This record gives sequence, structure tokens and C-alpha cells, in this order.
Amino acid sequence: MNKITLFFLLAIVVFGCGNPKKSNETAIKETDEVVYTVDELIANAEELAGTEVAVKGTVMHVCKQGGGRCFLMGSGEEINIRVEAGQKIGAFSQEQMGSDLTIRGIFKEVKTEADAHNPAREHGEEEHAHDEEADAAHQIIQTAEEKAEVVYFIEGLMVMKEE
Amino acid sequence: MSLRKTLRILHRDLGYFIVGMTFVYTLSGIFLNHRYDFNPDYTIIVENFQSGIRSETRIDEDVIRKELKMLDHQVVYKKHYMTNRGNLKIFIENGEVVIDPSTGSGTLNYLQRRPFIFEMNMLHRAAIGSVWKWVSDGMAIILFFVAVSGLFLLKGKRSFSRWGLWWTIAGIVIPLFFLLYYI
Repeated sequence: MNKITLFFLLAIVVFGCGNPKKSNETAIKETDEVVYTVDELIANAEELAGTEVAVKGTVMHVCKQGGGRCFLMGSGEEINIRVEAGQKIGAFSQEQMGSDLTIRGIFKEVKTEADAHNPAREHGEEEHAHDEEADAAHQIIQTAEEKAEVVYFIEGLMVMKEE
Repeated sequence: MSLRKTLRILHRDLGYFIVGMTFVYTLSGIFLNHRYDFNPDYTIIVENFQSGIRSETRIDEDVIRKELKMLDHQVVYKKHYMTNRGNLKIFIENGEVVIDPSTGSGTLNYLQRRPFIFEMNMLHRAAIGSVWKWVSDGMAIILFFVAVSGLFLLKGKRSFSRWGLWWTIAGIVIPLFFLLYYI
């Protein structure tokens, strides 16, 4: 029985160490890949929708409930794009606020309710500690979404660079 | 070797093995459970201060760095921009500063990671990549085995069928009640 237990232990350790590379590790990649600014991405949204893109922007907001998404801003805070961390990136951290991230992901149009950014659904409807920063950010984001004819977001695949 | 003896040995050894993980998940679970009462990952320091920046101030990186040096906390400048509302927003390492140039009043939001809790929360949320997802699945299966095998360890008066069954049912009824009441 000690052998069986040891087998379980070894299996977990070996399996766990099988892929030491962190999936959300930032990687500096020198490629010829086109890296769009947020402004360029939004300006060419119709053409780029549904494709894999690389975009660089300043992190203006990170979801405080687990960092599942962040918002990159372009030349101004009203020009922003939501990036979902998903399984590939895992999570964004609050320490990334204000950093310039270059992210590769799939640029998508919001077509269903599930794709839409809904802070009330994600953060809960319950009364909770008042967070001025989050409230202000959500207001900016909501205003930008209301003004846009079509809302887009990025399903993140990899953080290519963090500056 | 009898089945009961095998179960006892596995329950014992895997039980020892899973203690660490159970500790991680229970402690981080409590913090995450209260995520609407307080930030489970960071201690947030909020301080108001008066800055020398006014509407007529020519704002650049040097001016901002000088202002940040006046703060009680040692902060590192990252970037700044003017918001649509006319406020100066300064990103710093682990936080941000917002200054209203019309009055000079400013607010510092500074984040400090909760030692160990931050890392445990990352594990709990499986926010560190797909490999951990499968490892933690394996750990969950082990925990499940430890829980279920415990049901069948004892014989006699305190066995599952004569004693444990009722405690088990009570343990299921409580969450079931909340499920049915709230859904």
C-alpha cells in the first residue's frame, strides 16, 4: 500500500512538473508580427474581427474579482478594449495597472449576452464595499460601449510583452 | 488484505498527503467567500492628500515625480494621463494616484499583496495556467476519495449505517436547503 501511495505522489509531482513553463509568463518576442495600437484595432475592427491579432495598450482597469479581464486603453480612456484572460492567460493582476501590455488574442465582436461585459453579473448584485476606482472605470467603459455601434473584445491567448 | 484494511491505509496516507492542499483551499476559500466584504488578494491603502498641482501647472513627468516624492509612501511612477473629467491620473507601481487640478486634492490607492493569501487565492482560482488545473483536479479526486473512504472505515455502533448516515444526511441537507431557498 505504501507503494500505491508513493505512486500517487510521484504521479502528481511528475505531472505537475511536466510543463514548467508558466502559461501566463510574459515573453519578449522579436517577430515581424504586426502589433496594433488600440486605436488602430478599433479603427479597423470590421476587417480584423474574428482574426488573431496582437495589440498593445495601457492597462486602465483590471477586474478586481479575480483578474479575469482587463481593459487596455489607447490614446484616451474612452478608446479601450476588453481583454478576457481566459484559460491561456489565467488572470491579470492589479499590479499590471498602468503597464503597457502587448497581448495576442482573438479579436471578436460581442454577439451574445455571455460575451458582453456585465459587471453586475460578474461581481454580484449584492451590496459590497464601495470602490471608487472600479466604479469610475466601469462608467468610462460603459459610456464607450454605449457610443460604439458594435462592441468588440479580445479573447486573450498570450501576454507577449509587459513594459 | 481485506478491503476495509486497504481503505484504511489509503485513507490514512492520502489523508496526510492532502492536508496541505486542504489548508490552501479552506483558507483561501474563506477569503474568497468574503470578496465583497474586502479585497481577498490585496490590502488597499487609501490616503487623501493635498498636492501642489493646479490647473495652471504644466504637468509633465518631472513635476509628477516631485509630487510623488512628497507622499508618505514610497511610490514608483509608471505613467500618467488626463481623464475625460479633467483629473490627473497617475499609475504607480502597485496602485494609482488621482489628482483634481482644480483644487489640488489627491487620492492615493496603494495595493499590498496579502502574503501567502494572494498566492493561495491564485491556486484556488486555478489562475496559473492549464497544468495546475489538472493537478488540482487530481487533488480534488484524492480529497473525494479520502472523504468517501472515511464513510466505510468503522464497524459496529459508530459505523456508517448505524451512526454516520445521519450526520452525512445532515451535512447534505444544510447546503441543499440554501440551494432550494435561494434558487
